[in-house]
This record gives sequence, structure tokens and C-alpha cells, in this order.
Amino acid sequence: MKNKKQSSFFETLYHHKDRLWSMVWFLGMLLLFIWDMLYLNRPALLKVIDGAMNTFLIAFLVIVFALFIAWLAVNLLFIIRRKGFFVLETVLTFLIDIIRSIPQIIGILLGFVFIAGLLYRNIIQSPMAILLTAVLIAFFVFQELMDLMLDRVNHFRRLDFYQAMTVCGISGSRILNYHILWKNSRRHIFNKVVAIFGVAVFLQCSVDFIISVGLSTDISSMDLPVTLGGLLAHIDSKQDILAIGHAITNPGYFPNLFFKHLQGISVAFSIVFSLLCIYKISNGLSERFRL
Amino acid sequence: MGKKLAGHLTSLILALLLGFSLIYYFDIGKKAPVARPDSIIKPYIEMDIDLNDPLRQALFKDMITLYHPEQSSDPDSLLRAVLTYRRDMYEAELQSAHTRQVLNEAKLRQLGIMFLKYVIVYILVLWLTYYGVETLGLIRFIRRKQNKVSYIFELINFLKEASYKKLNTYWRIPTLLVKSVLRGLLYLIFFSPAYVIAYSIKTEFNTNTLIFLILLGLISNGLLITYTNKFYAFLIAESRKGYVLTAMVKNLSNDYRFTQPHGVSLRALFSMRKWFKNHVLNHIYLNAHYQYLGTFKEQASFLISGLIIIEMALNIHGHLSYELLQQLLYKNYDIVIVIVMSIFIIVKVTEIFTDWVIDSKRRVYENRNN
Repeated sequence: MKNKKQSSFFETLYHHKDRLWSMVWFLGMLLLFIWDMLYLNRPALLKVIDGAMNTFLIAFLVIVFALFIAWLAVNLLFIIRRKGFFVLETVLTFLIDIIRSIPQIIGILLGFVFIAGLLYRNIIQSPMAILLTAVLIAFFVFQELMDLMLDRVNHFRRLDFYQAMTVCGISGSRILNYHILWKNSRRHIFNKVVAIFGVAVFLQCSVDFIISVGLSTDISSMDLPVTLGGLLAHIDSKQDILAIGHAITNPGYFPNLFFKHLQGISVAFSIVFSLLCIYKISNGLSERFRL
Repeated sequence: MGKKLAGHLTSLILALLLGFSLIYYFDIGKKAPVARPDSIIKPYIEMDIDLNDPLRQALFKDMITLYHPEQSSDPDSLLRAVLTYRRDMYEAELQSAHTRQVLNEAKLRQLGIMFLKYVIVYILVLWLTYYGVETLGLIRFIRRKQNKVSYIFELINFLKEASYKKLNTYWRIPTLLVKSVLRGLLYLIFFSPAYVIAYSIKTEFNTNTLIFLILLGLISNGLLITYTNKFYAFLIAESRKGYVLTAMVKNLSNDYRFTQPHGVSLRALFSMRKWFKNHVLNHIYLNAHYQYLGTFKEQASFLISGLIIIEMALNIHGHLSYELLQQLLYKNYDIVIVIVMSIFIIVKVTEIFTDWVIDSKRRVYENRNN
């Protein structure tokens, strides 16, 4: 009987991959934290924790801002279409298309340079820089969310559901925001938000790594909040990562990676493992909700 | 298509116009960074006199005493201030001389070569990812149709029924464990940002080659796995549609085994032009392929970002993105704008090409001639 219960637990987890991978992510990070507590020196540990916290905080803020910008754009387009302002609709769509055509990394990189410049001139402080960074990344990733919302709105507008509600006297904005986006699309939106969280972590780490490696004079990485990408670019972390190559050709050196090169390995592992888990969670959600 | 093309061209022209205006603006304002002179010394800065000469210094002081008695500071401190300012300007000029670059014909030619190199790498990686996404997506789909589960799940199932198994089948446990670990490692590699992979092997391998750049573009940043999964989702969605059952009723093969005469041909699976003759998979594939084309723009844009990250993070000299980073560091914003514009052109051309392909496919599907 006990065996049957256990197997059903495993099977449930296997079929609810989002829960499984959320658990794997949490346990993996917890294990890493315990290992670092035991073998990594305290200043380095604090830096890694600080970097991880900032990274995930910025990524969380990105999804909040991206949701807001996407919602705003969808509402604007909806109103414009209903009122029949064709020129305004064309202009807005055109502007969004231009933003879409700018490679995210370039837009964010240029924005980071601008934010670092503001920090350098003491115009803004670190907490504000975190907010601005999140807004900047959200500005270049919100289109995916907006496209999804627009797809859902267009799908429902073609159904009788929409006409029936309009005839019943329900306002357009209530149909859009409550009935379409909230009641009928929140699972889709939630799934997309999880995927965007991963994209935000990836973009932020990459840009921070690039800035810390390549733009190290005026636009010092010290001015920007420490994130996992920036930490990885530090000389001590970089040497830790370089040690992996040494371990590949000298397998006897491999165990040292987990004791002597822990800072870089922890940072790299946090980035890669988080990206993998977020991807798996997003996939699991799509499978579970049959999206 | 005409409407879309007009939209693309308009945005391209507008972006180029904006770019050229910015280049003009930055080119005019391109000077060595100097501090603004004090209002008291300002009139004496532009004077064409060598103030390092003691005779001229004495003349300068006499001139101030005679002709500007209203001057609040004494002539000595005024002379010192002018000399200090001139020295600072000279030093600033010297310091920025090696970093300041002019956007001339030679520079444009140099950028053109880098751009070509970038385009070649981009097209190659795009082609490889396109092939990789379709092949891996199909393999995953076929494995599902063959009722194969993940190695971990297989291992759990095996362990659950271990007591009923013969002793000589226990070799499967380490095999499945090794397979799961290898698969996990492969996933970690696929999801690693390019710089993590590159720095991990930088000491032992030459990472500055074009082949390495292409390989890294293909396997890193989660590109291949993300779009493989999208293609797989399209295949699954198509396989649930009614026409699949109709096709099976009409005697098309539904056998997904590789070794069977009516099964899936391995040759067709790995070829560039995939064609599964007399198999229902052919129809599922063709329809999923059409839907996948819709995500191709997104994939191309993601790839462009990935390549930029690789070139920048690895500091590969002589490449477009590294040049962009350098020019950003040296504050040569006119050159930065040219590089950004060139990348924007690549994105737009890809978008136009993708829209054209989708449109021509749609015409075939909808039996339209124009």
C-alpha cells in the first residue's frame, strides 16, 4: 500500500513537471547554499547571495513592468481600434515593431550605459538603478506578452461570446480586462510571465557580464548593483570558471572545483541551473494547462 | 505581403534617417573631453601667445595690470590658471587621441568587412539551428510516439518492479543512471550562456576561431532547445487534429519504428529536405513546419542577440560586436550608430525574408495565385 502511494507521488510529480522542476530548483539552490555555507569564505558568500538576490529581484520587477507595459499597450490598441483611429493604430503598431526589431541585447546594453552614466554623475542611487534596469529590460521584452494578450483578445473577439456580452451592456474595457484577460487568459499569461522571467535573468546576466568585462573604465560595474553576471566577470570568479577547462584535461583536478573554485562555480551554476529550471517549469505549465 | 513589406521598408528608412541624423550630431560634437574654462580666464584661453616663454609671461602680466585694472585676481594667479587650463586641455587631448576614431572611408571599409563576417556567421548558425530544431523536434516526437519515457522515469519504473526482474537485467540500472546524468549535463550545456561555456574551456582550447563561434552560437544560450521545444509543441498539436485519423484510414503508415519497412526512415529524418513517403508523419511535419515559420523571426532575433553576446563577452577582436563594445567604451558614438544600424538592417532583412516565405507558403496552402 505504502509502495503504491509513493509511486503515485512520483507519477504525479512526473506528470506535473512544473511542480517537479520548482521543487528541483528550490532544492538545488538550497543544496548550493548549504555547500557554500560550509566551504566558501564569508565575504564571497555574501557577494554571491547579494548577486543572486539582485538578479532575481530585477527579474521579478521586469515581469511586473512588462505586464504593466503590455497591458497598457493592449488596452490602448483596443480603444484605438474601437474608436476607429486608424492612423493612430498604425503609428503605435509601427513604433512597437521598431522596438521589436532592435536586438534586445543592444537596446539593453545602451540603456545600461545610460544608467551607469546617471549613477556615475550621482544623479540616481543604487535602488533607483535597480528599478530603472528592470524598466529597461521590461521595455525590450514586453512585446512577447503583448502579442500573446492581443492573440487572446483577437481570438475572443471573433467568438459570439464577445458580441453577446456587448449586447448585454457590459463595457468594452470590462470584457477585455476581466472576461478575456483575467478569466480566460491568466493561465496563458502566467506561463508567458514565467518564460519572461527566464529571459530577464539571461539578458540581465549577459549584459552585466559584458559591461563588467568590456566597459571597465568610466562605466564601472562597481556603480551598478551587483548581479550574478557581474560577479561572474570578476577576476576571481573568472579564474574559477577557467579552472573547469583545466579539470577537463586533468580529471584529477575535478574535485578541487567544488572546494577551491567555489565562488565562480556557484555563480555559474546558479545562472545555468536557474535558466534550465525556469524553462522546464514553463514547459510543465504549458503541458499541464494544455496551452 | 505588400502591406507588410511597406511597413518594413518604412521603418527601415525611418531608422536609417534617425541613425544618420545621430551620426551627424555626434560627429559635430566629437571633441576631446575638456572642462569648461572659468569665466575669468575664458578671454585669455584663445590668445595665440606662447605663455611658457618667460618674456611673454611678463608681457601678459603687464598687459593685465595696464589694460584690465578692474580684474579681481592678481596677474600671477591669472597666469597660473591659464597655464593650468592649457596643460589640462593638452593632456586630455593626448589621452583621448588613441581612442578617438574618425568615421572615414577606411573605417567604413573595416566595418564593412566585419559586417560581412557577421552576416556569414549569422546565416550559417541560422541554417544550422533551423536544421537542428526540426531534426531534434522530430526525434523527440517520434520517441514519444514510440512510447519512450525519460531515462529517470524508466529507472524509477525499473526499480519499482525490480523484485520481479531477473538478476542479469540489473545492468540497466547503471546504464540508465549514466544516460540520465549525461542527458542532464547536455541540458546544462544547452542552457549555459555562451560566456560560461567559452570561459570553461578557454585555457585548453582556442576559442577565438570562427568555427568555435559558430558552434557556440548553435549550442549555447538555450536557443536550440527552446525552439526545438516549440517545434515539438507544434508537432504534438498537429498530431491531435482530425486529418491525421483520416490519413490513417486512407492507409498511410502510422508506424513510428525506425527498423520497419513502413516505419520512419532515418535517412528522411536526418536529411535537409525531410520527406516521409506514405507516412502520416509527413503531413504532421509539413503543417508543423508551416507554423514554425511564424516563430522564425523571433528565433533569428534571439540568435542575433546570442551572437552579439558571444562576440562581446569573448572579446573576439576584429568582430562587429566587439568593435561596438570598444567604440562604446571610447565614446565614438557615430561609429556605434553605424554598427547598430547595420545590425538593424540584418534584422529587417530577415523579417522581410521570413514574411515572404510565409506568404508564399500560405498561397500554396490557400491555392492562391497572387
